Amino acid sequence: MVPVATCAIDAATLSTREINTLIRSRLAGGSEICIENPAARHNLGVALLQPGRVRFLGSVGYYCGGLMDGAEIHVEGSAGWGLAESMSNGYVEVKGGAGNGAAAAIRGGTVVIHGDAAARLGVSMKGGVVLVGGDCGYMAGFMGQKGTLVVCGNTGQAFADSMYATTCFVGGTIGNLGTDAVVEPTSPDEAAMLDALLAKHFSAEERASKPAGSKFTKVVAGRKLWNFDKHNWKHWQDAL
Amino acid sequence: MCGILGYFRKIPGSDEHLGATMLNMLNALGRRGPDSAGVAMVGPAQRSRYIVRVQAGDELEMGDQAIEKNREAIEHFARSLQAAGALSSSGVYVRFEVDAATSIAELTRTIESLGEGIEVISIGHAMELSKEVGTPLLLEQKHHVSAFNGTHGIGHTRLCTESIVDLSHSQPFWGRGAVDVAVVHNGHITNYHQLRRKYEQRGIYFMTENDSEVLAVYLAEAMNKGATLREGLDGVLRDMDGAFCCLAVTATEMGFAKDPYAFKPLVLAESDEFVAVATEEIAIRAAIPGDYKVSEAPVAEVRVWSR
Repeated sequence: MVPVATCAIDAATLSTREINTLIRSRLAGGSEICIENPAARHNLGVALLQPGRVRFLGSVGYYCGGLMDGAEIHVEGSAGWGLAESMSNGYVEVKGGAGNGAAAAIRGGTVVIHGDAAARLGVSMKGGVVLVGGDCGYMAGFMGQKGTLVVCGNTGQAFADSMYATTCFVGGTIGNLGTDAVVEPTSPDEAAMLDALLAKHFSAEERASKPAGSKFTKVVAGRKLWNFDKHNWKHWQDAL
Repeated sequence: MCGILGYFRKIPGSDEHLGATMLNMLNALGRRGPDSAGVAMVGPAQRSRYIVRVQAGDELEMGDQAIEKNREAIEHFARSLQAAGALSSSGVYVRFEVDAATSIAELTRTIESLGEGIEVISIGHAMELSKEVGTPLLLEQKHHVSAFNGTHGIGHTRLCTESIVDLSHSQPFWGRGAVDVAVVHNGHITNYHQLRRKYEQRGIYFMTENDSEVLAVYLAEAMNKGATLREGLDGVLRDMDGAFCCLAVTATEMGFAKDPYAFKPLVLAESDEFVAVATEEIAIRAAIPGDYKVSEAPVAEVRVWSR
């Protein structure tokens, strides 16, 4: 979509409800929207259900881009907890870092975090793509059901714990693997997919510090927790 | 839920506006904790004296006359001390200074035996603690915290999820018996009852039913035995269970401990000039202008900044 005009909204004097109402009405008019002075406030750009581009000129608080379907959000600063939580479709990009639970339970769309992501990144993902330029914290990918989770840097503890079928790729060191998380070789097709993903979302300068696609470690579910097996009780004890 | 915050100036001599910065941060976190607000701020140290802050009673639990009687008893006691100076009263608080040769434990015991409901809020060479039931605005109206000049401090807005709402249960908590030690906490210490029982068996008494108080008791004991703030906070990570983030100050340091499960939020901004820590970035942005990064503090981590 090509925006017809850029429209600025100064968040400083508006309530969150007023900001979100303005965003929705102006997206409907086809404008690209710039939000000035977001000041890390919560619930900005939540439940945007139509295409269009919103740019936050600063940091946002909790749940930015949550419950979104189809819009595009760029955050110039950092994001708080629950970035893009339960997004159905769309694109969310954060220049800085993101707090806990970024991209939790997304069903589709793409979340790009150029900095670091904190704990519980992409937990219970049901689809979509998550790309983190830096490191991620504790328990990323927990119970992921579908989709692709890519971390260019290092991960925290309990990575990819108790997953169903999310596919994870890690460029750096894995803090440790969660229950039932197993490492698999990265295929040439997957390496090419990763190279293309990084080329699409990162500048050449940014890419220079990231590993090549073939250097990423692939982590998937070992599928031992998919069906209960009383003969494998030890495994369940560890998981629970 | 609660909100906690800390601010630490790294540059020597630039000690102005601490109170104003703290109040702005506190206001921004007011939504997270409407029940009470408080700060522990560190000003210039006076090695030869202790600044003593005493609560004459709690307006929610006592009549005005009883509080007035307590206030007079505290003031009378302060005047009787040979080196007592700078006696002042504000609301239910009495503040005075005493010679640092005094034993803190004895001083605390004596003051608190002057009347029912009297509680020593803080003792320090440099640290002063103020808290009130209600909003940060009320704290400012009663204590003019924005006028305090100093180097670093911590603050708290409380959403009561256990025990009761009153002045004693408000935060920060003074590390009773330790000089210039205070702590704020957001979260739940789930093994608090076991720890408290152990302390009580040793004769250490608690002022509240608040789980956070055990952190203050724990740090005060560790530091009175010679531990550094870092060692004390490392101990918190080792010995406390639950979902918690806590911040602590001493006369020269500020530090935090964050639980291993990342259940509670804590963000961090650091530049060459300052360190700011808060439950939400909104507090840091509201108080400190300029271009700096804010990031979520890592889990299972202790960090301490010293002057």
